Amino acid sequence: MTVDFIFDFLNQFFTSLAGNEFLLLVAILLPCVVLFGFITIYALVVIYTELKVSSFIQDKVGPMGQGVGIHAGKWGLLQPIADALKLLSKEDIIPSSANRPLFVLAPFMIFVGAFISFVALPFGDSIIIADLNIGIFYILGIGSLAVISLILAGWSSNNKWSLYGGMRSAAQIVSYEIPAGISLITVIMLAGTLNMQDIIIYQQGGIFNWILFDNPFIPVAFVIYFISALAETNRTPFDLPESESELVAGFVTEYSGMRYAFFFLSEYANMFVVSAVAATGFLGGWQSPFPNALNSPGWGVFWMMGKTFFLIFIMIWIRWTVPRLRVDQLMNVCWKVFLPIGLVNIFGVAIWTVLFG
Amino acid sequence: MSTDQDKLITELVEKGLTGDMEPINSIEDRVLRSKAKAALAKAKRAAKSQETAEPKKKKSEEKSSDDLPSSVNLNEKIVYMINEKFSGSLANENTETHIQLKSDQWFEIATWLKSEPSLFFDSLQCQTGIDVGDNTLEARYNFHSMKHNHYTEIRIAVPRKEATIPSVEQIWRIADWFERETYDMLGIEFSGHRDLRRILLPDDWEGWPLRKDYLVQETYHGIVVPKMKEGWE
Amino acid sequence: MGVVHGEEMVLNIGPQHPATHGVLRLQVRTDGEVVSEVTPYLGYLHRCFEKHCENVTYEQVIPFTDRCDYLASMTNNFGYVVAMEGLMDIKVNERVEHIRVIMAELQRIASHLLGLGAFGLDIGAFTPFLHMLRDRERILDLFEMTCGARLLYNYMWVGGLSHDLPVGFVESTYRFLDYFEPKIDEFVKLLVHNKIFVERTADVGRLPQDVAISYGVSGPNLRASGQKWDLRKDDPYSIYDRFEFDIPVGEGGKGSVGDCWDRFYVRVLEMKESIKILRQALSSLPKEGDVYQSLPKKIRPPIGSIYKRTESPRGDLGYYIESDGTNIPYRLKMRSPAFTALSVIDEIAAGWLLSDVLAILGSLDIVLGEIDR
Repeated sequence: MTVDFIFDFLNQFFTSLAGNEFLLLVAILLPCVVLFGFITIYALVVIYTELKVSSFIQDKVGPMGQGVGIHAGKWGLLQPIADALKLLSKEDIIPSSANRPLFVLAPFMIFVGAFISFVALPFGDSIIIADLNIGIFYILGIGSLAVISLILAGWSSNNKWSLYGGMRSAAQIVSYEIPAGISLITVIMLAGTLNMQDIIIYQQGGIFNWILFDNPFIPVAFVIYFISALAETNRTPFDLPESESELVAGFVTEYSGMRYAFFFLSEYANMFVVSAVAATGFLGGWQSPFPNALNSPGWGVFWMMGKTFFLIFIMIWIRWTVPRLRVDQLMNVCWKVFLPIGLVNIFGVAIWTVLFG
Repeated sequence: MSTDQDKLITELVEKGLTGDMEPINSIEDRVLRSKAKAALAKAKRAAKSQETAEPKKKKSEEKSSDDLPSSVNLNEKIVYMINEKFSGSLANENTETHIQLKSDQWFEIATWLKSEPSLFFDSLQCQTGIDVGDNTLEARYNFHSMKHNHYTEIRIAVPRKEATIPSVEQIWRIADWFERETYDMLGIEFSGHRDLRRILLPDDWEGWPLRKDYLVQETYHGIVVPKMKEGWE
Repeated sequence: MGVVHGEEMVLNIGPQHPATHGVLRLQVRTDGEVVSEVTPYLGYLHRCFEKHCENVTYEQVIPFTDRCDYLASMTNNFGYVVAMEGLMDIKVNERVEHIRVIMAELQRIASHLLGLGAFGLDIGAFTPFLHMLRDRERILDLFEMTCGARLLYNYMWVGGLSHDLPVGFVESTYRFLDYFEPKIDEFVKLLVHNKIFVERTADVGRLPQDVAISYGVSGPNLRASGQKWDLRKDDPYSIYDRFEFDIPVGEGGKGSVGDCWDRFYVRVLEMKESIKILRQALSSLPKEGDVYQSLPKKIRPPIGSIYKRTESPRGDLGYYIESDGTNIPYRLKMRSPAFTALSVIDEIAAGWLLSDVLAILGSLDIVLGEIDR
């Protein structure tokens, strides 16, 4: 695991301080800083992808013309950086009747929630910051932190529209955690462990050993998990809390500048986390699809990133194609459709495994 | 149109009215064929409305336009029935283009207009308020019946100082907003209206803009109200 | 929706809001998500159109009529011009009539494209809006080719037109029609039969037929409630009685008659009918004819009044013109179809959820310029 690797390395290097807690602290913080950098670059990449994919779908041009050395070309590669600079330079407005401490706290909480789920994601064979033996459970639990921060954001803005957005969002996230968890139980049952790396190791040996193809009930679980993940990250068709045309901007109406950027960033970070969990649980994580080829540690990172980005691309695709659901229809789908199917799934997977091994 | 074509079209229409479409369909010139079809459709419509209207009771001036004969008959029929049921509410007997009523029994007449089977005016098309000068304001109602497809116009004149007309918003629900607009622009009060307040102008605006003697107020909450320019200033 | 009642919240939707089609304020009384009363407040876009008309000449009124319903200017002009020609008893030649019908039908397609796209946007489907705007751009290019303007044309004058058709217009229009017809089917597949869209709009905001007639609702909204009434067929003006086309009527395809889905679908079918009329009009367009032939030297109508209605994309547009013999109108009233359509919102939106109120508002296809004048 990464932290152990760095700790040993530092031990060799600074032999005089070997075994010291100070070195342990450095060994923990260094990957986190790298991870923070990774999230920033990832955010830029995914914002650019969303703009370009949406412009292909909507038959428009998208960002163009700003690019290092490709000024009049077809790629607008500097667009996300321009967006980030714009948000940084905006005036920071806090409504006078808003509850100041909570208003300021909400964006930080939501970003912290997204960030600490990242530490448990496996990026490669031994590239994981915290190889917890309750990996998946931990990530599911941290996902609930978003609920508190959304309610805080909605309520502290002292604005009826934000309140609406916050309430809807809380109801939606809390409800959709249940089908997501139930679908992941099927994965856990098959792999026999909650540890992320062990689940991936269970799926070694090529594409047909992936959990997705193990059992005819698993694709159903995968679809349920994916759609519940869309709902957890507030993406269309479940983007009622921030629906642009109805509630102006939902619970982020009163936020401007960098605070708004934090909400934005954490939505994309959440997308990454749920896609990575889906890739880990169902698609084999950093295992290569060919049994004996292309499975060095470097390739592992490539496969993991590839699968995650593929799922993110599907999320973006769905956003720009489908209209949004109304609040009660959303709840309907969760409690009356996904929950029964998820429970039946668990039985199905168990019985199939017992009968057919 | 030349007289040859005129005669040809009249012949074709006559044949068409008896059900024989062959001569019309066999014309090669597209424009002439479509003109003949249009004239045939018009003739069929006129024939239908002649059947439903009663023969003229009084002789009135001849109008040269094509679609007045049936509506003059209709207006006369309505006036005759109003005289029978609600005597004394006609302001004058002129029925060429409209019916002029007095405002006192308007609500009862309106209810009857909507429910009477041979008239059945179930749609209030437009209500216009107008300042006719002479210290009189008028409210003009254009009615239409979906069932019989006929029209009429009713005008009610009221003096400028005491402009009150009974409201008909319970009968035709669109009159709710039409009357509010007339009140807003001209100051005619509609008695019995459940919610008579200004609709287009702010609630605390002063004056009735569409009256001919309207003077614009100087300021509104501190904002200077611009004056209407005369000609090309 | 449940027995627990909290406090009632009074919420203002608008006047600045992405979903209201213009500056409209809707005051909504809600209990949780369920709406119990909707009150529209108008007048934010009131520009004193009727008072202006009493101070300018009859020709100068035409640009003002453009600006009332700014998304369908050609049909506004058309209505005014037909009313004036009825008052003054002017007959225009065949070429002018055909060009007027062509322009009006193209405008109908353009207005429906925008109305449907905006409705999709309210529901949350972002992509069809952009596809429809792309197609609408082509129609605006045709208009620009003819009279130089993209949105407010001042094209139809009393007794004629302002410009004749340019060279190549007929071919361009045929090319556009061939390009556009398959796009309607593509759009139907993308949005109309989409399960989520149907769930959002079927059975929502039912408008019964007699309520619609009593509220004066007209045009596609009335046809969606089951009444087969179209001024182009039932009270024809200009040369509409020569063309063959159907009147689509709402039949409750995916829910009950008169719901939002019906209002939406009727507009989609109307675009197809407009294409039919356009093809017929283009093929019978006379090549000879002077569009300035019947323009009167001075417009001085005889003393009298007229009320004439024409079919605009939103319903029946009526002009009540009273003339006192001079060249300035004595009174000009414009009866706008969106005014009557908006008045019905309290009746049909009470009792639904907040998202539904916005869906119903979008399905009525209103334009505030026309309501406030």
